[in-house]
Amino acid sequence: MKRFVGNFQPLFAAGILLVVLLLPLLGLTPNVIRILFITFVWITASLAWNLLGGVAGQVSFGFAVFYGLGAYAAALMINAGVNPALSFVGSAAVAALASFLIGIPTFRLRGPYFAIATIGVSEAVRVVMNNISAVGGAGGLRVTERGIFRQTEHYYAGLAIAVLAVCVSLLVERSKFGLALRAIRQDEDAAADVGINPFRCKLWIHAIAAALTGVAGGVFADYAAYIHPQGVFAFSTSVTILLMPVIGGIGTIWGAVLGAAVVTIVEEQLVAVFPQVHLLLYGLLLMLIVLLEPDGLVGLLRRILRRMHVDPSSRGPDKALWGRGRLEGREL
Amino acid sequence: MTAVDFLNLLIAAVLLAGIYAVMSVGMTVIYGVMKIVNLAHAGFMMLGAYFAYELFERFHVDPLIGATLALPAFFLFGMAVHWLLIRRLPKSDQPTLSSLLLMFAFWLVLQNVGYLFWGNMDRSIFTPRTLKVLTLGPISISLLRLIVFFAAVLCVCALQLALSRSWYGRAMRALIQNPYAAQITGVDDERIARITFGLGTAFAGFAGALLAMLYSFSPDFGRPFLIRAFVIIVLGGLESVSGVAFGALVLALVETFSILYVPAGYQPAISFGLLVVVLLVFPRGIGGLLERKWRPA
Amino acid sequence: MQSSFSYRNHFASFLIAAFLGTILVILLPSCNRGGQNAGNAITVGVVLPITGREGKPGQYQKEGIELAIKQINDAGGIMVKDKNKKLPVKEVFYDDGSDQAKSASLVERAMSSDNATAVLGGYSTALGEAESVMADRYQTPWITTGAAASTIFSHGYQYTFGTLSPTTLLGSTTADFLGSLVDQGKLKKGLKLALALENTDHGIDYGNGIKQWIQQHPGYFTVVFSENFELGSPDFSGLLQKVKAAKADIFLADAHLQDYITMQRQYLQSGMYHQMLSYGARGPESDARKALGKGTDYIFAGIWWSKKLPYPQVKKFVQDYTQFTGHEPDSWYPATAYDAMRALAQAIEAAGTTNKTAIRDSLRNVELKDSLLPGGTMKFGPNGQVANAFVIVQNKPEDKVDIVYPKDAATGEAIAPTPRKK
Repeated sequence: MKRFVGNFQPLFAAGILLVVLLLPLLGLTPNVIRILFITFVWITASLAWNLLGGVAGQVSFGFAVFYGLGAYAAALMINAGVNPALSFVGSAAVAALASFLIGIPTFRLRGPYFAIATIGVSEAVRVVMNNISAVGGAGGLRVTERGIFRQTEHYYAGLAIAVLAVCVSLLVERSKFGLALRAIRQDEDAAADVGINPFRCKLWIHAIAAALTGVAGGVFADYAAYIHPQGVFAFSTSVTILLMPVIGGIGTIWGAVLGAAVVTIVEEQLVAVFPQVHLLLYGLLLMLIVLLEPDGLVGLLRRILRRMHVDPSSRGPDKALWGRGRLEGREL
Repeated sequence: MTAVDFLNLLIAAVLLAGIYAVMSVGMTVIYGVMKIVNLAHAGFMMLGAYFAYELFERFHVDPLIGATLALPAFFLFGMAVHWLLIRRLPKSDQPTLSSLLLMFAFWLVLQNVGYLFWGNMDRSIFTPRTLKVLTLGPISISLLRLIVFFAAVLCVCALQLALSRSWYGRAMRALIQNPYAAQITGVDDERIARITFGLGTAFAGFAGALLAMLYSFSPDFGRPFLIRAFVIIVLGGLESVSGVAFGALVLALVETFSILYVPAGYQPAISFGLLVVVLLVFPRGIGGLLERKWRPA
Repeated sequence: MQSSFSYRNHFASFLIAAFLGTILVILLPSCNRGGQNAGNAITVGVVLPITGREGKPGQYQKEGIELAIKQINDAGGIMVKDKNKKLPVKEVFYDDGSDQAKSASLVERAMSSDNATAVLGGYSTALGEAESVMADRYQTPWITTGAAASTIFSHGYQYTFGTLSPTTLLGSTTADFLGSLVDQGKLKKGLKLALALENTDHGIDYGNGIKQWIQQHPGYFTVVFSENFELGSPDFSGLLQKVKAAKADIFLADAHLQDYITMQRQYLQSGMYHQMLSYGARGPESDARKALGKGTDYIFAGIWWSKKLPYPQVKKFVQDYTQFTGHEPDSWYPATAYDAMRALAQAIEAAGTTNKTAIRDSLRNVELKDSLLPGGTMKFGPNGQVANAFVIVQNKPEDKVDIVYPKDAATGEAIAPTPRKK
């Protein structure tokens, strides 16, 4: 039984991937494809944030800045005639560059001070973008659409970046770099004492996370064909990005993915079905999760599996996917 | 700019600092003792505003009295919220993600409660006092803003006194300095936490009621204030009550005078830029500098 | 520092699973709200904010649409010739919370999953721009009831319509009104204008409209100050100081209601005075009256509609609306929404089918002969946007509001310059 669980995850993941690849061919409604597309975009951002906040332990409240910069970069390049795929690379580059500019001063700060600084940066960028008329300013920016809208194109673009994010996360988790990050999360000074350079590591993971988030923003901009500073740079966007891995299970890959899926779908359905009380229900759900199961949905699954006498944490590499109970008492 | 204009602007900035101070005190108190970043602060302020509004509309209670009544009412409400929700959070001597998310979720709930009870109309309180102005020669001061300023001064001073004199204050300071040692010496941290949360909520409700006299509000109320409160308590040094007054003053001055040199649209960027700069140069806030001279709070 | 007992673990798992399960069970069957009644009703999607920053106007627009739908359904529905019967209108409503990404998503949802024949919505240009992308994608007619930027209609979309005249026209109408006062001799020539515009598409377009008019009519006014400010500010002392320093004769601001109230209070408290004062499309709102008392006197506003318009259909609408919602129409919000729904119904009837492209073609030709809007008729322009005139209203003492421009809709004389307080 235990060996089955050990081999279970990669097969499970491959199965999901196959299904998801074939879904559009099964004739689903455009609405479902749209929901899945949005889910993929958020999965990417969620995994990205998880790399910085979950693995490296640096909780940022301003990830919308990368999302927005990626969106605007892609929008401007697509409008200039650049191939969308290249524009997404541009998004990643712009976001990564910004992450260095932001990280170099702010990573000197610890804990809550870092979190608040990220809010300040994100909001400042939002206000500045709202004022620059060259990129649309308060009127927002249109993205020229190339010919007929082919939803499946966007679907696969979203899927591609989500898979990319998963692969990057797996690579990081299983590498020495990932080990260094986890050491930094647990005790930055001790990590420095054993020879890790926390500052450089944080900068690099910040860049990777920013690049992924930027690409997510770019892919979104291509789909939505219209972006606005109050939307992509909003504080609520930052909150959504961090909410997803936390609800799913912070520090874990499955958690980030599951969290993104659940948050996206639940939020959408709540707004659609309960227009008068969706905030209430959403808030209650969040409160329940935070109070009762701080390790998120992954933690919940672990508990259920444990009660079924199946121990998911028996194999080493699985820890990366299942986690170890990381939110309870988790510090900023 | 003439000297009179400058003076008018300076006074406006100082009065604005009063508004900022009164709304940040609640958040500071909660953060200092419990290390909880209270995002629901905006929600409590909103409820405080509606509290004063309802008393004014239905029972013709002067909003100032309404604001004073808000203090005990919200104190009890805050203690209830703590007993129901907050005490179940994992404890830590550093701010935690769970506390942050819980308060955020609670804020969503409060907003929706607001929408259900009062709809989304903008409400405001208008009394003969609303437009009154005190004129000292060429200088004009809004009466209401002056009142709010004095209320803010009163709040900060009262809190400062309470912290330095009362047993509660000493217990609170002990918890801020070293939670474990404090518990060893017999401080009941859960009780203090409950009282603190009640106090923070009381100040939030009080601030909301006062601000209801100045601004129009809807269940969405408080969002721009929340972000400014962040800036202020960081400027003031997250754990210092007197620092709040200082932070509020700095922010108000920067906001008011920066518009003179920069297009108005960029003004929030200046405030946020200030926040980041201060964090980098004085990581423990400007109040942190003060703290080195005096004991915290 | 964990304090978990084993029964707590079980309880927690159970509670969360139960909560999630309940939500999923409630949500899943309702996934497809429009589809079931495909043959027996015409589904109209309505995507408007009723929470968030634009919640209040969104609410009023929703009420306008729902009144129209109720009246249509009370008469049996819309006659669809190729089905040989009257079909009732079924509304599928979504609250976008004033968030553009959600707004666009929900419109997509209405157009694809709910099989909406048409979608109404988009209060404010940002939401409207985001939504407009979906109309051509899903080849479903989309009528915006609250977005006025002409940029929405300049992309060559074929399925977008709007019942609001462009905001730039609002700006130039305002300038036209002021120009008419100069011509009448109430104001002098060559006066200086100060503009303080909110940093949104609305503020920008409004400012551009004014500046365009001034360029085209030299000699009337000069702009001595123009800046955009960020929404939701608690204090406008610095900005008002700059306005004061500009020493203008006329102050034209453009703001949302909250900022209008804050700014006007500080304006009055600092003892400022200008010959004419306006807050763009804000002025006669009852909430502002409540918040400012006499402080709103003599403020004028350019709005898309006023309940004071002297048309019989306007009187009837005000009556019906007040009965339906329990309050009078506030400012212009419900009117454009009401007419949008009526124009849609008329277009569907003229098309004789529920085919969306045919309805779109019909919308291009439809003319609402008893429109509430200024001019009394409404027709979509070649780019989909209407071009009805604006009315300028001015607050008069004792809580009165008069339409003061254009002449043929006026219910009173404009008071210019504003009397100084003694």
